[in-house]
Amino acid sequence: MAVAEMIKSIAQAPEKEYYLPGHRTCAGCGPALAYRLIAKASGKNTIFIGPTGCMYVANTSYACGPWAVPWTHAQITNGGAVASGIEVAFKQLIKKGKIKDEFPNIIVMAGDGGAIDIGLQAASSMMYRGHDVLFLMYDNESYANTGIQVSPMTPYGATTMFTPSGPEIPEAKKFFPKDPMAIFCSGGHPEVKYGATASISYPVDLMNKVRKGLAVEGPAFLHVQCPCPKGWTYPADRTVELGKLAVETGMWFLYEIEDGVKKWNYMPKKLKPVEEYLQTQGRFSHLQPEHVAKMQAWVNQRTQLLGMEVPLPPAQ
Amino acid sequence: MKRVFMKGCEAIAEAAVRAGCRFFAGYPITPQNEIPEYFSRRLPEVGGVFIQGESEVASISMVYGAASAGTRSMTSSSSPGISLKSEGISYCAAARIPMVYANISRGGPGVGSIQPAQMDYMQATKASGNGGFKMMVLAPSTVQEAVDMTFAAFDYADRDRNPVLILCDGVIGTMMEPVVLPEMKSDEEVAAIKNSKKWAAIGHKVDYANRGWIQPGNWSTAIMQQGNEEAAVMYENWQKNDVQVEHYQVEDAELVMVAYGISARIAKTVVDKYRADGKKVGLIRPITVYPFPYKAIENLNYNQVKAILDVEMSIPAQMLEDVSLAVKGRCPIETCLCSGGNLMKKEQVMDAVAKLI
Repeated sequence: MAVAEMIKSIAQAPEKEYYLPGHRTCAGCGPALAYRLIAKASGKNTIFIGPTGCMYVANTSYACGPWAVPWTHAQITNGGAVASGIEVAFKQLIKKGKIKDEFPNIIVMAGDGGAIDIGLQAASSMMYRGHDVLFLMYDNESYANTGIQVSPMTPYGATTMFTPSGPEIPEAKKFFPKDPMAIFCSGGHPEVKYGATASISYPVDLMNKVRKGLAVEGPAFLHVQCPCPKGWTYPADRTVELGKLAVETGMWFLYEIEDGVKKWNYMPKKLKPVEEYLQTQGRFSHLQPEHVAKMQAWVNQRTQLLGMEVPLPPAQ
Repeated sequence: MKRVFMKGCEAIAEAAVRAGCRFFAGYPITPQNEIPEYFSRRLPEVGGVFIQGESEVASISMVYGAASAGTRSMTSSSSPGISLKSEGISYCAAARIPMVYANISRGGPGVGSIQPAQMDYMQATKASGNGGFKMMVLAPSTVQEAVDMTFAAFDYADRDRNPVLILCDGVIGTMMEPVVLPEMKSDEEVAAIKNSKKWAAIGHKVDYANRGWIQPGNWSTAIMQQGNEEAAVMYENWQKNDVQVEHYQVEDAELVMVAYGISARIAKTVVDKYRADGKKVGLIRPITVYPFPYKAIENLNYNQVKAILDVEMSIPAQMLEDVSLAVKGRCPIETCLCSGGNLMKKEQVMDAVAKLI
């Protein structure tokens, strides 16, 4: 896919599915919806690498999988490394004329743990060496397939099985999350020419970012927020709604960095108070007003740091 | 004695806290998540620290650090996660750092399956990392035993300045049983244990000339060899003093099963069934799989014992090699095996026994 063909609307999205029904993810699963859209956008000539995570475990239970394209499991430590091996193998085979295939779309579908925690070393090195791979981080903000344990992407103030709220630490998780775009797409990995954030609630934007990431020569990075009913504790029919609310409250941003130039893909006219977002999820139900204020201050600071010029709610 | 109803993983964690464990580092993996989950709630209550590492490698290395400072420390994982920890385990053994870890083992090799298995026997008893070091490996067959072993493991670890492994299959880790918990060590006792570790790296307030150096190896080959010789003596002493084994209906048995962990419980049911019919079937259960109870098997009366049946949840059989070393060809050894996360069924063991009596 040398030049990315952009999708203008949902109506114009490819009908053909490469992530099929029959998997065993939870009702309302954000990552499964992401997978479906990503597979649709990348098309038939795709190889998925699935490091351990929900999108490995829930998709492959009972000896079957939903992919209509080749897929391989990788250790949770090594999505970037396995993809590097596949990429160089194809490049060499094509270069030596041993196969006539078109170079495939190689996509790592790593969860937040497999991308930014235990998988960080291999992801970073794959990008450093310049492999032509799209490293996609589907972020459901916890280690969900093992029963919801904290990950570096879990928001401040969220309960997980490893961060219970109690007298010692009343707000549950006390640290603020890492910023993967700052790690991978802010000059620290010079071979990365394209990086973006996306959300399952903005499907056309997500699909086009997949295509852009695949079109650039060398590594690309996509950070996709995927609400998780089980881990975030909300009714399964609100997944898409919550993805939108995250953007409207500044708990998620939609932007891309192409050749070092940042572009906003969607900017709300003004940010809603973060409390509106926190109220929707059981994982934040224990928070006290001072914790909510701390979160609002963080959102406001982050919005300004990223250069998003919108009116902000007051942070007490 | 007050009995409480607890899940194996949680009971292990509580026993560790009562033994004075004040540091735990872990990383999520099924089926052992309840151990770190329990510690994350419990340790702050007793002034201890729980950290979720970014990986298994980080977790074992944090334990290496905390235990180097003299704190009773623990980590846990399940099979593929233990493989990742193996570098750190070898470092702890080399530096002679006392620590305890639990493997709530699942199907393998590779990512395997998340269901219970006994496929890490060789790794646990022969090579949990590079360099040929050994550890005491305790294999509980009930949740109560998991509790008692975890409590005792910290004493073994401190006595020997060596890692101790609780090799626990996923069944024992995830099932609930009534248990009697050991008495909680007081803060004074925990502090006294820590203060007794004069080798620990605890800063410059101590005698500077004798400051603690933690070294997982040495560039001096003479010192390295000396360390390994000392460790070898310790391993031999375990074989003399620390073997634990259960004999069940072995005295007049013509068929003896050898099984550990959950397999031994299933085998015990089978013994009872056959005994009810007057059939002379018995069981030898290694409680320490390292040091292995070679003598218990070696000293059987082979004029009476017609066959040995090795029962394990592993294909290929692994403990079989230790059993063979003890039997020395004096009677046939058959196997009854399952693998990959399948739980051994008593009918399978019944059939395997039926073929031999």
